[in-house]
Amino acid sequence: MLIGISLVSFFIMHLAPGDVTSSEASFNPKASEESRQKLRELYNLDKPVIIQYGLWVKRIVQLDFGNSFASHQKPVLWERTDKSGNVTKGLIQESLPITLMINLLGICIIFSISIFLGTLSAVRQNTWVDRSITLFVFIGFAIPGFWLALLLMYWTGVSNQWLPISGLHSLGYQNLSGFGQFIDLLKHLVLPVSISSLSGLAGISLYVRNGMLDILHQDFITTARSKGLKESKVVFIHALKNAILPLITIIGLSIPGLIGGSVIAESIFAIPGMGKLFYDSVLMRDFPVIMGILTIGSFLTLIGNLLADVGYAWADPRVRKGLVK
Amino acid sequence: MNIFLKNPLALSGLIIILTILILALIAPIIAPYDPSFIDINSILFPPSIDHLMGTDGLGRDVFSRMLYGAQISLLVGFVAVGIASLIGVILGSLAGFYRGWVDSLIMRFVDIMLSIPTFFLILAVIAFLTPSIWNIMIVIGLTSWMGVTRLVRAEFFSLRQREYVLAAETMGSNHFSIIVKHLLPNSLTPIIVSSVLGIASAVLVESGLSFLGLGVQAPTASWGNILTDGKEYIQFAWWLSLFPGLAILITVLGYNLLGEGLRDVLDPKNKD
Amino acid sequence: MKKNCLFSNFIAIFISSIFIISCSKDTTEVIDYNGKFKHISGGNLINAMAGEPSNLIAMIAGDSASSAIAGNIFNSLLKYDENLNYAPDLAESWQISNDQKTISFKLKKGLQWADGKPLTSADVLFTWKLITNPNTRTPYASDYQLVKKASTPDSLTFKVTYESSYAPALDTWTSLHILPKHILKDEDINNTFFSRNPTGSSFYKLDEWISGQQVTLKANDKSVLGVPLINKLISRIIPDTSSQFLELTADNLDVMNINPIQYQRVFPARKDLRQKIALYKELGNGYTYLGFNLKKTPFNDIRVRQALNYAIDKDEVIKGVLLGLGEPISSPYKPGTRWNNPNLSPYPYKPSKALVLLQEAGFKKNDDGILMKNGKPLKFEIITNQNKQREMTAVVIQKRLQEIGVEVSIRVIEWASFVNRFIKTGDFDVVVLGWSLSLDPDQYNIWHSSQQGPGQFNFLGYSNKNVDKLLELGRKELNVSKREKIYHEFSKYLLEDSPIIYLYAGYGLSAVHKRVKGIKNPAPPAGIYHNNYDWFVPKSLRRSEISAR
Repeated sequence: MLIGISLVSFFIMHLAPGDVTSSEASFNPKASEESRQKLRELYNLDKPVIIQYGLWVKRIVQLDFGNSFASHQKPVLWERTDKSGNVTKGLIQESLPITLMINLLGICIIFSISIFLGTLSAVRQNTWVDRSITLFVFIGFAIPGFWLALLLMYWTGVSNQWLPISGLHSLGYQNLSGFGQFIDLLKHLVLPVSISSLSGLAGISLYVRNGMLDILHQDFITTARSKGLKESKVVFIHALKNAILPLITIIGLSIPGLIGGSVIAESIFAIPGMGKLFYDSVLMRDFPVIMGILTIGSFLTLIGNLLADVGYAWADPRVRKGLVK
Repeated sequence: MNIFLKNPLALSGLIIILTILILALIAPIIAPYDPSFIDINSILFPPSIDHLMGTDGLGRDVFSRMLYGAQISLLVGFVAVGIASLIGVILGSLAGFYRGWVDSLIMRFVDIMLSIPTFFLILAVIAFLTPSIWNIMIVIGLTSWMGVTRLVRAEFFSLRQREYVLAAETMGSNHFSIIVKHLLPNSLTPIIVSSVLGIASAVLVESGLSFLGLGVQAPTASWGNILTDGKEYIQFAWWLSLFPGLAILITVLGYNLLGEGLRDVLDPKNKD
Repeated sequence: MKKNCLFSNFIAIFISSIFIISCSKDTTEVIDYNGKFKHISGGNLINAMAGEPSNLIAMIAGDSASSAIAGNIFNSLLKYDENLNYAPDLAESWQISNDQKTISFKLKKGLQWADGKPLTSADVLFTWKLITNPNTRTPYASDYQLVKKASTPDSLTFKVTYESSYAPALDTWTSLHILPKHILKDEDINNTFFSRNPTGSSFYKLDEWISGQQVTLKANDKSVLGVPLINKLISRIIPDTSSQFLELTADNLDVMNINPIQYQRVFPARKDLRQKIALYKELGNGYTYLGFNLKKTPFNDIRVRQALNYAIDKDEVIKGVLLGLGEPISSPYKPGTRWNNPNLSPYPYKPSKALVLLQEAGFKKNDDGILMKNGKPLKFEIITNQNKQREMTAVVIQKRLQEIGVEVSIRVIEWASFVNRFIKTGDFDVVVLGWSLSLDPDQYNIWHSSQQGPGQFNFLGYSNKNVDKLLELGRKELNVSKREKIYHEFSKYLLEDSPIIYLYAGYGLSAVHKRVKGIKNPAPPAGIYHNNYDWFVPKSLRRSEISAR
């Protein structure tokens, strides 16, 4: 499958008009065409697409993702050290942790809040609690992200100076203590994480609600109730445990989404993550970076699927018991 | 039907959708101005009797643009979802009916498409094809068919073994008529629900693309591009942000409520 | 039951806390920004960039973010003073030989690099060799390749000899950043780490570069032109302009380029913003135009081009798109400079005259009011890149042309596709674009008939023998008044032929926080940034580092 994805992406990229030499300088009357041609030769862009693909595969197998065209030879994946000991960090090396951090935080928040809301909704089905939670969650999904982002940035950053507006660190960050730095980072992350988790909240809450509804109507719950167990025990221990099972699958399947940062949120909040990296690379026709991100993405998908299957098998006691036997 | 009408959320969804649909259809009649009428003496006026929703950066009436924008947003939603559903139904039917290597091949393709984050794909393609309303619709459609495929396939799997299907096969009906006459009509529920939800997401995607400058292009008005036009003076020209933002919010909300409501109603499991 | 109570309590507390927090806002203290302040060094200046620099060696980087930062780190031989005359940068004087082919630059004494090593003519020669080396990946070599011979008679003199007199020469020496030979002589300039950790000679040196977030420069105490007062220049990378504006209004940015609506409508409506932020406007050295593909009918007919020129109301464009913050032009030069021909005026808005010309060209209105010729309507597509102002300009033009019966459609295209799929291939009708020009009047690359190859700048396909001759002469003529006459005549031909319709020269609009002092207002011809090394932030007005977000 990796080959399929890489092949498809490679060819799509090369279908696009233009390449990395079509940057700003290309319309500067002082810049010349011969130099651009030289650049093209250097990057092998003048060779037929098949050959370019072959060259790329050869390097990938050695885990050499190459250097970015657009940002002056920064390595795509991991840092390199030159002979004088100067370290140039890789593009993905710098942006992946940031996106991962935001998405992981987002997932934690989504799951914790959704489980709470979904359960509440199921337990109070068709009451105003259920209806308003559903409404609230749907509104969260329906709001255009960048609109809400700008409104919140204005309200929390300009009118009332509670939170920072954009970026990841405050001025003078290095002067803060370790704990101070941590709090500073958290403050910067509140808005971006909230905005990007909002849409996932709807889906998962609904899923939990429907799952819980199904389970709560099943026989073993009625049995538990008739045994005289406390309602909260019934709900939280017996029902919830079963409803959470499929959530594990969902977590596994959302792993590829972990590296796809939202371009829009990253642009607005000035966060240098993978989403923005991909978008800029597309516009700059920076092929090594594009291919690098897509390859890593598909690799993570494979891992995600695997983890989801394994996780489910482990968590479901029926499967576990069966295996042990 | 009664269950549906009794569910206030689904009902409100339906009302919202119908209202917007009607407004969009009668836009040419009720719009007070031509949406492309430029008046440089009325640039960025706040809402007033003359201009119910104010004017934009070139003096055009925002209310009229919003009405025509409704047409565009709904059109994008319908066509994109239409394309996605068509592809999804075809591929899902084939996979669900024939199974075997056909199924494996199609699902492999689905997996590949799913592993590339949708927005990335849309971005990449739109950046290459110049953005136009048709390209946007086609691209959104071409990147959101995977869900429908899976759903149709799942339905076909469960329906395939039913007696009436086996009966039809024994009687010698060809595959095509079995699919179309027997299997598809009973698989409609997930298709309808996902279409309705798909329209909602298409509207949101269009507004996201407008933010990046890759959405519906000037001078055509869409809610997404009115919203984007006003984002740099959000503190000043609040009307350029509030109205399109609310419109998108309410429309997407409406479609989602309707979709979920339909799911509740049509799902035989929920017939308590 | 328990759950219900818990939930409602939670909601109540949540809502009331929001109210409490909103109500307890600090009263903002009123700071007096006017008054006499001591010129004292220290403080920082924060600005924003939409893109990240790629490479601080300007000759290799192609993007504006890189050259903006590099401009604070490196010097050239010459620079422009506030009135746009040549002034010393590294060179204290220069002499042009009698045959006009040789320039001798005399460097100032005691120049040092930021690492303390001396800066001599050897560095200048090294830089020239570097940029003319075919292995150096630079798009800017052509001007410097015209130098036939370069030498360093002594450590303070640098001499260049051209094949023939080249009038734009001095201008080219204002934009070549001189690089240190002692650091780069064994490095591969295309891959050296120097691009991310440079050593220069100018006011600032690189302090810290946090990839994707900000670039910090700090004052260079060995600066050849003196130490600047502001200690640190911080450029934050904020891709979205609406976020930038929010940061400006929240006091987290000191300087920002703003758009006409923000300048003309937002600031006047907000007293609190005007109290702490000052606005400046200056005319840049570029213009926006509508260009015809001269190789396509009907644009090869001068009457059609002139007619369309009369059919577009440029004042309306300036008023509508720029809110009046621009100037109409009639030659490709900045108004107020000597190269601008004062006797030329723009085509006025006269739709009736436009129709007359179109009729002469064979176009007649049909029953629907559309202009037709030989059964085909007069219809074309305007393409432009993703630039808000150009989009709006195209929309206004479309309206006006519709009124006289011309059908116009608009397409906005992302830059790389725009250049490669449409411009280079010649597959376009009409463009709305802009030129950002150097201060030398030479426009050979854009208008000479020999520059029509793919990737070259005469992509409109303009060819006029008289113009060719004038452009060739202009490059050779070093006498300023004679040169003036040449370019005035050149402008006259250009206006008559109308290969492009001049739309406007827009003002550069800046918002600068009032804590930044030393800005010249009104802006001199070179703009407010020309003396940014003289700016300072008084002690009492500085932001405290940690509290700023």
